[in-house]
Amino acid sequence: MNNTSWLIRREFWENRAIWLVPSVIGGLLLLGAVFGHLQFGGDIFSPDGPGGGVPALVSQFALSGVVTSMFLVIMSVYSGWYLLDCLHADRKDRSILFWKSLPISDTETVLVKLLLGLIVIPLVYFAIADVTILTMSLALSLRTGAWASSGLWHPTLWLQTQAFWLYTIVTLAVWYLPVAGWLMLISACATRAVILWSVLPPLVIFIGERWMFGTYYFGRELLDRLGAGYVHHAFDLTQSGPGWKTAVIHDHDGDNTITYPQNLWHLLDPVGFFGSAATLIGAAIGIVLVVAAIQLRSRRAEL
Amino acid sequence: MSPLIEARELSKRYGKHLALDRATFTIESGRIVGLIGPNGAGKTSALRSLLGLTDYQGHLRVLGREPLRERTALMRDACFIADVAVLPGWLRVDQAIDFVAGVHPKFRRERAMALLEKTQIRGEQRMRQLSKGMKTQVHLALTMAIDARLFVLDEPTLGLDLLARRSFYDALVNDYMDETRTILITTHQVEEVENLLTDVLFIDKGRIVLDCSLDDVARRYAAVAVSGTALEAAREMRPFYERRTLGKTVLYYENPDVDRLRQFGEVLTPSVSDLFVAKLAGVPS
Repeated sequence: MNNTSWLIRREFWENRAIWLVPSVIGGLLLLGAVFGHLQFGGDIFSPDGPGGGVPALVSQFALSGVVTSMFLVIMSVYSGWYLLDCLHADRKDRSILFWKSLPISDTETVLVKLLLGLIVIPLVYFAIADVTILTMSLALSLRTGAWASSGLWHPTLWLQTQAFWLYTIVTLAVWYLPVAGWLMLISACATRAVILWSVLPPLVIFIGERWMFGTYYFGRELLDRLGAGYVHHAFDLTQSGPGWKTAVIHDHDGDNTITYPQNLWHLLDPVGFFGSAATLIGAAIGIVLVVAAIQLRSRRAEL
Repeated sequence: MSPLIEARELSKRYGKHLALDRATFTIESGRIVGLIGPNGAGKTSALRSLLGLTDYQGHLRVLGREPLRERTALMRDACFIADVAVLPGWLRVDQAIDFVAGVHPKFRRERAMALLEKTQIRGEQRMRQLSKGMKTQVHLALTMAIDARLFVLDEPTLGLDLLARRSFYDALVNDYMDETRTILITTHQVEEVENLLTDVLFIDKGRIVLDCSLDDVARRYAAVAVSGTALEAAREMRPFYERRTLGKTVLYYENPDVDRLRQFGEVLTPSVSDLFVAKLAGVPS
């Protein structure tokens, strides 16, 4: 446990981008909220404002959703790069010979880096996104004079969005475990061109399958893993049932009807996610790849 | 008591190249051993195996442990500097001390601080801002502050200037060495370490060609400088190497009859570097 905390600290020393990048993004967004041009005045979410009729949950979640998803998209690019680089950089600069002179096992080292990529870095981005959203909400409320009635200030809704994003981070970590394992395996064994090595084998399998069998199973599975598959597995998007409501929103071009959940729990589908074959098989493959990365790590020194 | 390091038939293969070829040797506690060989002789492969950094064939025990399988436990009692420039550029000096203090149960922070106080190095400096010599000082301070039983150094002074080398070895012998510790140094620059060593291991083409203490060197080897007509008679005593210098020929013998040898001139104990050259060059035809 003691080693783990020092290893995590070391990752933060080495990779200051972990918190610098989201801080800069958050700062820019906040600047936009403070000095940017507002298209509306007054309380847009009051019953007779331009956004009148928007349920508090929707207005609350709209800002949180847009800002946090943006952070998480940037995070996934950074995190992917981090995992691809983390077992390669210290072999390249030979500092692995220093780290390996200390009584820290390769298993600990690799697992901490995996933990960083899948949990710690997402949590850092999420925390900074949270601070950004709160300060943005404050700035917008003050500027529009809509302090009291604004849908942006609802403690219970805020807690709901927190739980929603934590669920997202945990399920993302499980869903992307095989991808993370693959990136770490390449990081542990490639002598150079890690990006190329991470892309080439899947591409060869894809082309090989198409050429030999004329099928696309591998490519479809891969796209599902990297793209829309996650949302379909982790969330309930049926938009029907007792938990769902509709609301009419007065807009410039008339009234619009929207469907929204009574609370955010109705969007989550943990039973479906953790019970699905795609999740479990993916996680099993991920574990195998991580074990392989640990084995390689223990037998390799510098490049 | 079993030896500190025990290697039997130790081999390491890289593809077709045999870097270590059934090397057998032991190292006892309390010695300063030089693993000496030309470039590419297998020194680094031997050390990497001893330190659990690479797999190998054969029997190997270091401090009673199997290095590759038990590296983590081994590193509590053994430490190494594998080359000078391996501290990462982004690491700050104070972070390096904090980290090692955090993860190493036998690290003594006061000792590292005391060693660094003698230098120009400041805690907030990053390794990339330090010269090679300063980086070595940091690494040495970090390593010497660990109460380890075995200290392994792989070409520790490569790329350092003369002053830095001298102070490196001075620190090692004066501030570190005592009878509870064992030091293993590899180098291809024999002259630099020969005054420090208690034992030598010569390695060539992956094989151990000499394994003995310096006391044994004095007992086993002798050299004599001969000129003129005595040369033929001296050659009859079967030297294993000879070398011409300043009009004389120096002949090297293993286990000679020293009394007989004295008739040709003064009998000397060859220096480690001479012995190294003699052993590796072999008998000239």
